[in-house]
Amino acid sequence: MSRTPLQKLVLFLVVLVVISPAFLFFLWMASLSLKPEIDNTAYPPVLIPSSLDWSNYSAMLNEHDFGRYFTNSLIVTGSAVALALLVGVPAAYGIARAKAHKLALVVMIARMTPALSFLIPLFLLFQYLGLMRSLWPQIITHLVVTVPVVIWIMTSFFETLPIELEEASRIDGANRWQVFRLIALPLARPGIMVALILAFIFSWNNFVFGIVLAGRTTRTLPVAVYNSLTYEQISWGPLSAAAILVTLPVLLLTIIAQKQIVQGMTSGAVK
Amino acid sequence: MIRSFGRTTRRQFLVTGVAAGAGVGMPFVRRALAATNWRKFDGTSIEVSMIKSPRGDIIQKNLKAFEDLTGIEVGLEQVPEQQQRQKSVVEFSSGRPSFDVCHLSYHVQKRLFEKGRWLADLKPFLDDPELRDPNLDPEDFSAAGKAYATNEQGELRSLPISVDYWIIYWNKDLFQKAGLEFPQTFDALIAAAEKLTDPATGTYGFVARGMKNANLPVWASFLLGYGVEPVGPGLQLNTTSEGALAATRMYQHLLTKTAPPGTIGFNWNECQAAFLQGKAAMWLDGVGFAPPLEDPTKSRVVGKVGYAVMPKGPQAHASATFGDGLGIADASQNKEAAFLFLQWALSKPLQAQLLQTGSGVPFRKSVLADQTVRQGVKMPAAWVDSVIGSAEVSKFGLPVVVPVTEFRDIFGIALTNTLSGADPKDELQKATDQFRPILEKSEA
Amino acid sequence: MVGRPAGGSRRRRLNWHSGGYMPFIWPALLITLAVIVFPWVFTGWMSLQNWQVGAERSFIGLANYARLFSDERFFEATGRTLLYTFLSVLLPLIFGTIAALVFHEEFPLRGFLRGIVVMPMMATPVAIALVWTMMFHPQLGILNYLLSLLGIPPQLWVFDPGTVIPSLVLVETWQWTPLVMLVVLGGLASLPSEPYESALIDGATWFQRLRFITLPMIVPFLVVAAFLRGVDALKSFDIIFAITQGGPGTASETINIYLYLQAFSFNDMGYGSAIAVIFMVLVVALTLILLWLRGCTGWREAQG
Repeated sequence: MSRTPLQKLVLFLVVLVVISPAFLFFLWMASLSLKPEIDNTAYPPVLIPSSLDWSNYSAMLNEHDFGRYFTNSLIVTGSAVALALLVGVPAAYGIARAKAHKLALVVMIARMTPALSFLIPLFLLFQYLGLMRSLWPQIITHLVVTVPVVIWIMTSFFETLPIELEEASRIDGANRWQVFRLIALPLARPGIMVALILAFIFSWNNFVFGIVLAGRTTRTLPVAVYNSLTYEQISWGPLSAAAILVTLPVLLLTIIAQKQIVQGMTSGAVK
Repeated sequence: MIRSFGRTTRRQFLVTGVAAGAGVGMPFVRRALAATNWRKFDGTSIEVSMIKSPRGDIIQKNLKAFEDLTGIEVGLEQVPEQQQRQKSVVEFSSGRPSFDVCHLSYHVQKRLFEKGRWLADLKPFLDDPELRDPNLDPEDFSAAGKAYATNEQGELRSLPISVDYWIIYWNKDLFQKAGLEFPQTFDALIAAAEKLTDPATGTYGFVARGMKNANLPVWASFLLGYGVEPVGPGLQLNTTSEGALAATRMYQHLLTKTAPPGTIGFNWNECQAAFLQGKAAMWLDGVGFAPPLEDPTKSRVVGKVGYAVMPKGPQAHASATFGDGLGIADASQNKEAAFLFLQWALSKPLQAQLLQTGSGVPFRKSVLADQTVRQGVKMPAAWVDSVIGSAEVSKFGLPVVVPVTEFRDIFGIALTNTLSGADPKDELQKATDQFRPILEKSEA
Repeated sequence: MVGRPAGGSRRRRLNWHSGGYMPFIWPALLITLAVIVFPWVFTGWMSLQNWQVGAERSFIGLANYARLFSDERFFEATGRTLLYTFLSVLLPLIFGTIAALVFHEEFPLRGFLRGIVVMPMMATPVAIALVWTMMFHPQLGILNYLLSLLGIPPQLWVFDPGTVIPSLVLVETWQWTPLVMLVVLGGLASLPSEPYESALIDGATWFQRLRFITLPMIVPFLVVAAFLRGVDALKSFDIIFAITQGGPGTASETINIYLYLQAFSFNDMGYGSAIAVIFMVLVVALTLILLWLRGCTGWREAQG
């Protein structure tokens, strides 16, 4: 369907309006992070810095143990995602094939539970078990985020896979586990990719768990950023720099994998 | 750095230790002569939980010196105030805190910590000549510091590290242009604030916190001037008295008529931003907010800032005072090593740095009185004068009760409500009725 | 449900009853139950205690709940939570649908631009909230500057009790419009082309096609989006906590914030737990209502 020049112009303008809130926000965020403090609190605001000032970034990177927090975030999110895939993918398969939607609902309730309502008991439990100085409390709690995401996406994905092939191999004498491993799993690879990406993002962004469960050596990036809010002086520049450092990995992931994400979200949400 | 610190101690020990010994008598001399054994806990490691603040920054910056001096390994973390307070309480109450040394805000947590008996009594360490640095003398703390650190039984379960007076930062340029002098009384302050307010140019006479919780010290500064102690002896609530009403009216008037729009949601940082821009003639806040004002990369008012003691109220001249300290967890396995850390954090070189960088004010009288320390202060002289002046009229800014947080919340909301037009009298009555059962329950 | 045989005669012959799939599901189910159920039980138990941190604990039965039902502040918070949730569902739904209709068209760089539009929902909420706080500043914030360019007087945004909820909803909407867009995009992609072809033959305008064909057909997807959004908006915490902490006064204090305040600021674990229990009941109840609504709108057909 070809468009007249007028239609093209209208579409162009509409697209511009739709992307501008997101685009301008991140642009402003970047601008704040690259300006000296006196520009940041200037009015009218200065959009383009007189000279690029990377000191906000170096200040954040040097004064705070970003390397450690980054590693912590990677370990927590990485393990929580890996474990979630390990248990979640078979579960999603089971739910899809057994049509056990009520079970899916139980898992979804985990997602609906307000985090604050289970953090106090978990904190006391982990402390009782003497785990507080390790990353385990956070890895385990992050499963509350990652497992439902994996099950949510994979269930609908397995439902779209044709069942005929699996039935044929059942007749040939394969047991359920073999069918899952040899037939369903290879076909589900694109779905797993999507589940992995989304679980990663949602786990990475989590903030509430860390406030309660993280200590000095076990802090994840979002908590570290919140903690870098300095007392006694304004620091919009360093704060924005920190905000960008935290969220950059997921933003890059979003841009790179936007196609898979869109697929996963659209197909997963419908089911 | 380390070595020089070690040397200083020894030299000072010779001077002060002997001098003090002469006054107190022989037993003290003998005790003082056995030098502090800083390396006794070489190889131990301790965890320190601090509130994110310039006080914490100074300790963190110098941490290597302590580790070299003692061989004790320190894991120190600074967490934003609110979060650190919550976390420390949760950890203490679980019986197994993850830290050995804990930073506490006396004005909020004094009674709570005492009631929980979470901190170790420091007496055994102070009595141990091998542990105690003779330079550290509890008598050296100002009256407020002593009152904060000592519990009802007279035990010392923490050491006061830094005091916070509320002072007025004022913009000399704006005052000069308006041909005004800095006010000496509440009435003059209100009059000046009104004169300096000109919404057309976006300048305002006065700015202070309007955000709930954070706004309590502002109100307290007024209350004290009206001679009101919010919680009197026997848990008597004086928050509906004539004086309290007058103070609340003053708060409402200043923040709605002479302050920038939006003060209702302002915390210190929004106030600071307005002041840094030269848009506010007076700013009432804690004494530790000075350094950015004199920093040309952050401030448009460098060199134009005046620092003043809170003006005199109709009933009293008072400076609302807050403070924090360091304590040792009673559940800690490394109490002695933790004590060495406390002692070091309160030592003269560190306390001097605190004052000199404008990051805070020591409770130690000897540090404040030391001329060489004062000469090294990087802030304008007027700042130091405001500190000294405030110390003379210092009064606790918040009631010393268990439910301080509830007090701040309930009355903070009442104050905020007056800023959106509610009647001060009704709000005070409502807040008082709401707070009374909480107070009675928690102190019972 | 678990043991119910699945449909299809051939499956039954092969004994493909669902019980055989339980080994697949057990590990995930156990983990979820362990991480969720233990805290639930514990929270329920705590809610029956008079438990002020630092003081002795004692059993007080339902006293915390009794207190809750006479706590004006809790009811105000509940009302605010519902208002906040309603707005945070409605606005993203409207804007998300518009965005989806736009991105359903084909144009150059569509994939990349879609990536940019999706960024807000992927970005770390705390980081985002901090930047919004700076933008809301009544004197120095960029938002008032932008308004001044349009000749609109400066607003107080989150610094005024009257505008704080709409301002927070603005952030929430900005962040979650992409989610609705993605769900609706999925819906648009699954629509059959026949109705459009016959409509074109009948000479229907673009707007008529939108009004009479597209919108009715994507309703089930909108319900799904509303469901997902509703659950998240109810328990929204990061954004409110980082921007206003419930202020000014209590103007943006939702149940979640009030719960946090009671449990972690006032150290009243017992009362905080009672709020948590009631909040949970509320969330689950609303969830079930939404699920039931979803059933009513025939969302099954949407899978078509």
